[in-house]
Amino acid sequence: MRRSLLNIDWLGLLAIAIAGSMALAWYKPAFLSTHNLYVLMLGFSLSVLVALSQMVIIAIGQMNLAVGAIGGMVAIIFAGSMEVLGLPVPVAVLLGILIGVIAGFINGYITVKSGISAFVITLATLSIFKGINLGITEAQPFYAIPDVVKQLGNARLGPVPYLLFLPLAIVVLLTILMTRSVIGKQILAVGANPNAASLSGISLTRVVVIAHIISGSLAAIAGMLTVARLQMGDPMIGNDWLLISFAAPVIGGAVLTGGSVSVIGTCLGVVVITLISNALVLLEVDPYYVQLLLGLLILSAVGLNRYREVRQRRASA
Amino acid sequence: MTVLAVSSVSKLFPGVRALDQASFDLQAGSIHALLGENGAGKSTLIKILTGVYTPEAGTLMVDGQTRKFATPRDALLAGISAVHQERNLISYFSAAENIMLESLPNARGMINFKQMHEQAAHWLESLNVGIDPRTPVSKLSVAQMQLVEIAKALAQQAHILLLDEPTASLTPHETTHLFELLRQLRDNGTALVFVSHKLEEVFELCDRVTVLRDGKNACQSQPLAELDRQQLVKLMIGREEQIPERPDTGRHSNDNPDSPALDVRNVDTLSGHRDISFSLKKGEILGLYGLVGSGRSEFAKALIGLDTITRGEIRLDSIPATIKDVRTALAQYRMGYVSEDRKSEGLILEHSITSNIAITIWDDLKNSLRLLGNRRETAAAQPHAQRLQVRTPSLQQQVGNLSGGNQQKVSVAKWLAARASVLIIDEPTVGIDINTKNYLHELIWQLASEGTAILLISSDMPEMTLLADRILIMNDFKLTGEVANTRDYESVSQAIMSTIHQQDTTLEQH
Amino acid sequence: MTSHTTTPTEASRFRPFAFLTSNITGLVLLIALLATFYSMYATGFTSKFNLYTMGRVMAIDIVIGFAMMVVLVTGGLNLAVGAIGVAAAMFGGWAMESLGLHWGFGALLALAFGGVLGAINGLATVKTGVHSFVITLATMSVYFGAMIVLTEAEAFRALPKDFTVIGKTRYYGFVSALLPIALATGAILLVLFRYTALGRKIKAAGANPRAAELSGIAVGNTVVFCHCLSGVLAALAGLMLTARNGAALPSMAGHVGQDWLLPSFLAPVLGGTLLTGGTLSVVGTALGAILVSVITTGLLLMKFADFWLNLFLGLILLAAVLLDRVRSVYAARRQQMQVD
Repeated sequence: MRRSLLNIDWLGLLAIAIAGSMALAWYKPAFLSTHNLYVLMLGFSLSVLVALSQMVIIAIGQMNLAVGAIGGMVAIIFAGSMEVLGLPVPVAVLLGILIGVIAGFINGYITVKSGISAFVITLATLSIFKGINLGITEAQPFYAIPDVVKQLGNARLGPVPYLLFLPLAIVVLLTILMTRSVIGKQILAVGANPNAASLSGISLTRVVVIAHIISGSLAAIAGMLTVARLQMGDPMIGNDWLLISFAAPVIGGAVLTGGSVSVIGTCLGVVVITLISNALVLLEVDPYYVQLLLGLLILSAVGLNRYREVRQRRASA
Repeated sequence: MTVLAVSSVSKLFPGVRALDQASFDLQAGSIHALLGENGAGKSTLIKILTGVYTPEAGTLMVDGQTRKFATPRDALLAGISAVHQERNLISYFSAAENIMLESLPNARGMINFKQMHEQAAHWLESLNVGIDPRTPVSKLSVAQMQLVEIAKALAQQAHILLLDEPTASLTPHETTHLFELLRQLRDNGTALVFVSHKLEEVFELCDRVTVLRDGKNACQSQPLAELDRQQLVKLMIGREEQIPERPDTGRHSNDNPDSPALDVRNVDTLSGHRDISFSLKKGEILGLYGLVGSGRSEFAKALIGLDTITRGEIRLDSIPATIKDVRTALAQYRMGYVSEDRKSEGLILEHSITSNIAITIWDDLKNSLRLLGNRRETAAAQPHAQRLQVRTPSLQQQVGNLSGGNQQKVSVAKWLAARASVLIIDEPTVGIDINTKNYLHELIWQLASEGTAILLISSDMPEMTLLADRILIMNDFKLTGEVANTRDYESVSQAIMSTIHQQDTTLEQH
Repeated sequence: MTSHTTTPTEASRFRPFAFLTSNITGLVLLIALLATFYSMYATGFTSKFNLYTMGRVMAIDIVIGFAMMVVLVTGGLNLAVGAIGVAAAMFGGWAMESLGLHWGFGALLALAFGGVLGAINGLATVKTGVHSFVITLATMSVYFGAMIVLTEAEAFRALPKDFTVIGKTRYYGFVSALLPIALATGAILLVLFRYTALGRKIKAAGANPRAAELSGIAVGNTVVFCHCLSGVLAALAGLMLTARNGAALPSMAGHVGQDWLLPSFLAPVLGGTLLTGGTLSVVGTALGAILVSVITTGLLLMKFADFWLNLFLGLILLAAVLLDRVRSVYAARRQQMQVD
């Protein structure tokens, strides 16, 4: 990709992230402690999957409110199938991914076949998936998670959690997919201009369904990794994913009408958000400020994009 | 050899029969003209051939086999590619990505960028376009985008190539080159369908012709050599091409040459117009002609406050006017704009006829309690609907259910309701039937007789010569000339064309 | 053939509000059916106390539905309905309890505060040109976060008796005093959208902003107005909930107010308001909210575990939008056949 503008976009974010880290390290040396770095990376590894799950849907010009609900449902089915049904871990993992794929397929298929906005469809499926989650658990967590899973959740190489490796691999895969593969181009084409894409022989049904399946699988993986991290299948998993899932891609420069997203930008968005949350913890600020700041961050990202647009238009005229 | 046979194809839309048993056949190694007035069904036929629409009746045979296209993909697979009238590019993508989008060179799903750029460059070169295939489409000019679309269609290497108004925004020079290439393709055995409303181009390029009128065949796959221009026009419009006499009764009696209704002086706009000056008198119809992308509609929108005016002055009734939005244009200066795109800009399709007419005067319709009910609205809208003879069972009918002609009447009626004294009318008769078209021409004429100052934007040359008093020519966001209308089609169209060509040749010399 | 379009039989087929009436009669029938079913099989459904508590829930859900409806008509969304509702109610609670203002004055201040928060959403949407989804997603978080930080998550429990009594009053033993408030609000909205120029402008701007702008309507102003109105309505719902609870609680709409999200969409969407903007049904929205509260109450009474409720509401929403879609496709097809 040789789009200078995009590059500049995420270079700015990178600069913010680096400057922020340096300032934090200088002001609070505890920032660089092994434990804190571990916590940071752990936070990043889960959030980045949530953000990418949403980013793929933003790429096709839609939104997926059900990201958290899919993650939560998969998390408790993953945990429950091991605790109650006694399934071996690999089988439970496959089951979890399968459910994510099915959930994504349902979202995509209904959206594209009915022509109803993805917002309403995923609002309905959000409620359905959440309902299944609560119906199964009756709001009680599954505690009896196999030791393998628990160990994976705790294992670390120095400050690096094992849980980071899979998300990193997914970031690389997704970068290749979005920039170098045919399906990636087709996803972006459908997001930018569904009419033109269809006239170019691209099947909207196929592309939209595939994007939702990718989104569903990423949410499923995020849900299962969260189980490993929390050491239990908590029905609350996914409840607070909505904001971050949009915040990171938007901060990373994604165009919400579709057709233009950046995997690297989204990752840096997650980095910035993680750093801010961490800074507030280190500075012992009320955690509710995170909520407030995250909202303001989205607003300023949106405002900045708008400002840049207007300035560009003035300059070109 | 017949590669494509279309027989008795019909297509219905709510309120209209866009195609009514249309037929034609296409030979390999031939360029077939598809002609007809706006709204005659050409684009509908193209969309059926490319799988965008499914016809209600009729058959398509490609290479002797009956085909049904459910999606554009089916048509592409059958070897049909097209340049559509509307732009279909992905602005975030590079030229190469757009050109090769149908079949991105790849190995196991991974794009081979080198190959993609090479192939795209090849197609661009064949059109003699000096664009780097890596350039993002958003950075291209309108003409360059059109050329990229043509390259995109060529890249299919389809044996049937449909071109719907491919020259609309090209300069004569670019057009000449395109034609050379099309002839080459023809000689190599490709079958081409060429849609254009420029008859000069048709005679220059094509060998056979099919004419559509109101969705029906006016002639079918006839050799072009058998027809002359007059006959062709007669087939298209169903009568001799002639400019009817207009009753010039007292139209300029109120004329005060010192105080034009609209006076534009040295105006620049943010979207790029430079140094536009003209004046429009009361009761005058001033034509504004230009190719697609020349900035006509953009200028109209700047006048009513949708674009920023960066320099110069606009006077209405000799009073300097600052128009920051359409509301000001309407409320303070009684200036209105009939959009060329009635579906997305002119009308609210989901709402009733009465609401669409009364929309400009809702504020004036409130009763003493500041309330406004359906009855008051209907009472206000009815006279205008009646005057324009909007054909409908009920005025509460949704506008989206009306035929194109009746929709256009509603879109004009709201400005009658608003009693606009300066009216900008943009392409008033695109896609509507001949009767409504005649009716709208009379109406525009009548409005001018009643003293309305009219700025008429049209790319329909007979319409211009019929209605306008003078014709301004816009090219590349500048006014490049003015032609007095002698009502003689030949000489006026020659004069307009040569003004545009002149501009083009001077550009080439630079 | 097209020449048929003027025959009288054709005229009877084009009933512009047929679609809405069928939707409304459908809802009424459904509600009646469910109510009959529950009164037979769900013990206690027709008890005065149950009707009273159901009315309270219903009244609040109706107003929450209105708060979303007035933004949906612009073609936008307001995810911050819950956050504004809670923030405004907390503001009102603070004004009544800490400032010791008269409850009426405190309530007015809360409504105005809701209006301001809504107007901020509207202004941000119009000025940035970004879809209100993202704007309100962000402000939802901002408003709720700021509210928690400022109140330190403490409730206002010592509210004036004159205010909290509204939540407990019942007429004839089974009609909650909150219901007339909801109905009066509905009446005002009905007048706004049916009998005022402003209401018409809002609908036009929502259906086709470009065409409305070109017809001289200040589209931006209508959007800001609707968001502001949405804020006022959300604040009203928040105050009603506060009166019902007898206290202003920071948690009364769940985390960042998202508990209101589903009911706020369910009521207008079931009532036939389209998310694409331009159409709305005040009566339909009220009926939609009534339907949801009847279903919910009945399910709870029948000891159908609370936990499956979400699943049901989601299925209802999905079924409603899909049915609506089928209906409009069917209508379009019939129309096309008539042209033949």
